[in-house]
Amino acid sequence: MSKQEPKEIKLGKVRLSSSSKAFYTIAYLSLILMAVLCVIPFVLLISASFTSEEYIRFHGYSIFPKDISLEAYEMIFKSPLTIFRAYGVSIFITVVGTLLGLLVITMTAYVISRKDFKYRNKLSFFFYFTTLFNGGMVSTYIYYIQYLHLKDSLLALIFPGMFNVFYLLIMRSFVSSVPTALIESAKIDGAGEYRIFFQIVLPLLKSGMATIGLFLALGYWNDWYNAMLYMNTESKYPLQYMMYNLLQKTQALAQIASKAGIPVTNMPSSSLKMAMAIITTGPIILVYPFVQKYFVKGITIGSVKG
Amino acid sequence: MSVHLKNFLKEWKKNRPLFIMTIPALFLIIVFAYLPMSGLILAFKNYRYDLGVFGSAWNGLENFRYLFSSGTGWLITKNTCLYNILNLLTSQLLAIVIAIFITEINQKVFKKITQSVIFLPYFISWVIVGTFVYAFFNYETGFLNHIITSFGGEGVNLYSMPGVWPYIICAFNAWKWCGYNSVIYIAAITGVDSETYEAAAIDGASIFQRIRYITIPCIKPTVITMILLQVGRILRGDFEMFYQIIGNNGQLFNATDVIDTYVFRSLLQNSNLGMSAAASFYQSLLCFIIIMIVNTVVKHIDEDYALF
Amino acid sequence: MRRKVVSLILAATMLTTILTGCGSKASTTATDNTNETATSSEASATPKASGELDTSEEVNLTMYVISDRPAGQDVVDENINKILKEKLNCTLTINWIPWSDYPNKYPLLFSSGEAFDMAYTGSWLNFTSLAQKGAFMNLDELWPAYAPKNFAAQSEAAQQQATVDGHYYCVPTMLATYSAYGPVYRTDLLDGTNWDGKMENFEDLEKYLDLIKEKHPEMEPLDIYSAGSELDDNYLWSLGYMSSKGANNDFLFFNPEEANPKLFTFYECKDTTPFLDMMARWNEKGFYPKSALSDTDATKTQNGKSAVRVHNLDTFAGYSTTHREFAYSYANFVKHVRHFPYTQDAMVISNTSQNPERALAVWDLITSDREMFDAFMYGVEGTTYTLNEEGQYLITDPDQYAGSAMWSARTNELNRDAVGTPELFGEMKQEFEKAIAADDTAEKYASFVIDTSNIETEYAACQSVHQQYWWPLELGYTDAKTGLAEYQKQMEAAGLEKVRTELQGQLDAYVAALQ
Repeated sequence: MSKQEPKEIKLGKVRLSSSSKAFYTIAYLSLILMAVLCVIPFVLLISASFTSEEYIRFHGYSIFPKDISLEAYEMIFKSPLTIFRAYGVSIFITVVGTLLGLLVITMTAYVISRKDFKYRNKLSFFFYFTTLFNGGMVSTYIYYIQYLHLKDSLLALIFPGMFNVFYLLIMRSFVSSVPTALIESAKIDGAGEYRIFFQIVLPLLKSGMATIGLFLALGYWNDWYNAMLYMNTESKYPLQYMMYNLLQKTQALAQIASKAGIPVTNMPSSSLKMAMAIITTGPIILVYPFVQKYFVKGITIGSVKG
Repeated sequence: MSVHLKNFLKEWKKNRPLFIMTIPALFLIIVFAYLPMSGLILAFKNYRYDLGVFGSAWNGLENFRYLFSSGTGWLITKNTCLYNILNLLTSQLLAIVIAIFITEINQKVFKKITQSVIFLPYFISWVIVGTFVYAFFNYETGFLNHIITSFGGEGVNLYSMPGVWPYIICAFNAWKWCGYNSVIYIAAITGVDSETYEAAAIDGASIFQRIRYITIPCIKPTVITMILLQVGRILRGDFEMFYQIIGNNGQLFNATDVIDTYVFRSLLQNSNLGMSAAASFYQSLLCFIIIMIVNTVVKHIDEDYALF
Repeated sequence: MRRKVVSLILAATMLTTILTGCGSKASTTATDNTNETATSSEASATPKASGELDTSEEVNLTMYVISDRPAGQDVVDENINKILKEKLNCTLTINWIPWSDYPNKYPLLFSSGEAFDMAYTGSWLNFTSLAQKGAFMNLDELWPAYAPKNFAAQSEAAQQQATVDGHYYCVPTMLATYSAYGPVYRTDLLDGTNWDGKMENFEDLEKYLDLIKEKHPEMEPLDIYSAGSELDDNYLWSLGYMSSKGANNDFLFFNPEEANPKLFTFYECKDTTPFLDMMARWNEKGFYPKSALSDTDATKTQNGKSAVRVHNLDTFAGYSTTHREFAYSYANFVKHVRHFPYTQDAMVISNTSQNPERALAVWDLITSDREMFDAFMYGVEGTTYTLNEEGQYLITDPDQYAGSAMWSARTNELNRDAVGTPELFGEMKQEFEKAIAADDTAEKYASFVIDTSNIETEYAACQSVHQQYWWPLELGYTDAKTGLAEYQKQMEAAGLEKVRTELQGQLDAYVAALQ
């Protein structure tokens, strides 16, 4: 970053073409390799969801579906209402939770990154401590049910995941890149704290907020744990919990299959599991490109200065 | 006490809006995390269902004993730490490299597609990854042996070779999280004032100089935060990952058992709530000690980079 | 730094005060129902039976079962409630804990303080340990008073098995199951070969597997998956030994033929080496995959990928009814068949139940009345199930309906077989009854239940070691000699001797009580 001697710049320019060519070649090649590694299992997944159970059992998975069968999807959409309702629950908790969570996290991250705020380290520790110690499943469960009355309430799916301390601290690292001078000068101009935060700091945090918002949304979308513990009514099951049920059922049954007297039948088939995985991930993948546009270089602090 | 109170009131007067902005977070963290934390005492209790967490009798450190009987405690603690360090290094490094490549590339369509595609593994749950791993590596019908034998080689039975599994697990971990983690670094890089890059371009800095002198310093706070956050979880294993990939295969346990899988296996048949609380407390306590040390060290070097 | 600690301690004390406030309230609500005396770790006091059942007030009872709720369950519930309302002035809500959740949710059920009345339990859900830890209501007086028919119909053994620390804690099933174990195998696969059809011992099984391997190379002849092999237990049982815990996957055995049996483990048994040699050979022959312990598919025999699974009689019946196109057969290898403990399936009354009397009355009705039993187990005749001439049931639409998951309600008298249950199933059961009547070598140990509460640490460690070192060894994956030595070393370090001493004491006491 420091000023460089003109000589060096020239040298740099000379090397520029060959060295950057090498860089780009490596970059493209390794990204392509990575992308292929990431995409193959997903293709296998899609292919398996369209393959008949018999074929998978005897021949395994393949990139292109052989012995095509729509049985798995027919099975899932036998009661389409259940699936659509589960989509509804998942979308609701994801949207509400992400928006609220993002607001709380950004606000708090801003405060604990303000160097003139005396308690910022104490507060950070107070928050961070909860990631180290937790009450464990039993007492958390009793407490949520007996004192907060969260059994079978959608709030049990929204509140526990809303304020994530890991995201808070990642957000703080983003906030710290906002120049302090900017805030100082706004203060001198007579702007109030709330105005500084909402009108000056927030616009600079677009990419950070996109990241944390994405993470929150993924967290909510993928959460089955709270639903497992607190939800009793089938109409309030989020999509991911339905998938969890399907995936874990086989294992739970396999574990107890050796005990006598319990008829072990109706195990979900592999293609059903794969189809369910496709159905649960589909919509959230479509969200990603919308988030992406906030990651494009070009935010200039100058543009918001006025 | 009164001095503290005075100081507090002074600070409150000065920064009242900032205090108010933290109220929602404080409310959430107290109600949903601190209040149920009383359950920690379960680790020191002989839990009875009819007496509840508070009514059950104390039993000292009895619940912790099984972790260390037959010397397993040390092995699984060591395994958990090593896996976490290995995973931390590989997955963060990979994410950083990917983030830099993606932000440096100008071909927009390619950039967007790769960025989306490397996120895909995140969505494939470990249960399904586990099925694929078995389909890929098993001795009789696995894809890997299929390739080896079709080239005239001798099939390998990886499921009896504990030594290779740390690498396999580490690779899958990096693979699963690379997209997710790289988003953080991409965000950090794109959050950089673009004027800085423009200025560098005018100065004629080479691509390596740009990365070395602009990009890396800019993502440094984020990298350090990420590392510290991972260090704070160093005693916690990703149960699903280990369990779904290794399953009940005892031959691999010495190389692949982490605290979480060991506890799961030991308590499967007697569901002792006190013992599982004890394991969790042990993990928490060690994490607490380690992060306090690391954080203090970091604080001495540069206060801005410390977690708290 | 010091100030940070001070403020931390301050915050902590503040929270503790709030919490102990909450906490004492929690424990009082939890103990209210079980009388206030329960403060020691002794069993809680016996709820008194006040004589006649009072049905003047209408109540709603709640029952928990473990299984996935069938989509069309509403019809079944409605029908049950119609009968219950009329006969006992109550209704029943059945809550289903899905298969995927039960390991977490089942123990939580009893710790949450939630008020409910009945729940399914069984030895595989750690009935004994839960009872010792005060999860269930003491039924000493309630059971005979409010479920008199049920109580009278229970065998002496069942009543004994329902006893933990001298008190009744559950109502066991009245359906007899047997310790018979052996291959569930397909006979259709070897049609047209010169197979002699004999299946009486492990040599016959090996011959059969050899033929399958030859004729059907695409199959995995022997069904082994991640839950481990059950051949070790079956091998020892076939020689007349018994497992200390009465079920498979055990590491301590004894010989019931001896007057004062002594517990032994694998490395002390002369029969281990021949067994391991056999398994090494089977592994070599490729009867099962070299990585079977990582394979999670538990349905290989059921779905035609494997030809044999070593398992129990019920599995044979289950497979036969779901895949009628496969010709399954069954052979028992166990030398001394006995009844399985009736607590394998049982019903418990929760500590938090407000109406244990009515709950037991409902249970009495279900387990003694044909109409009620059918409504509870199978649903509405003509809608959810149909009966054939022999009285066997068929679920009309398996996607909509299923039999009840309260398996412990079944009794020898009322239980119906599913349509398609092979005749061999009934024949074998009769045969086992005859065998038990003639030979009580194992049967006299049927009520022996181990109590691990004093050795939980060592027992957990031994189980873990057993899985880690024995499972691969018994499948021939590790070398028999070095593997067995390593297993011994690890078991001893895990505290096997302490476990053995404790359990031997219990066994000796049991034997003494027999005489």
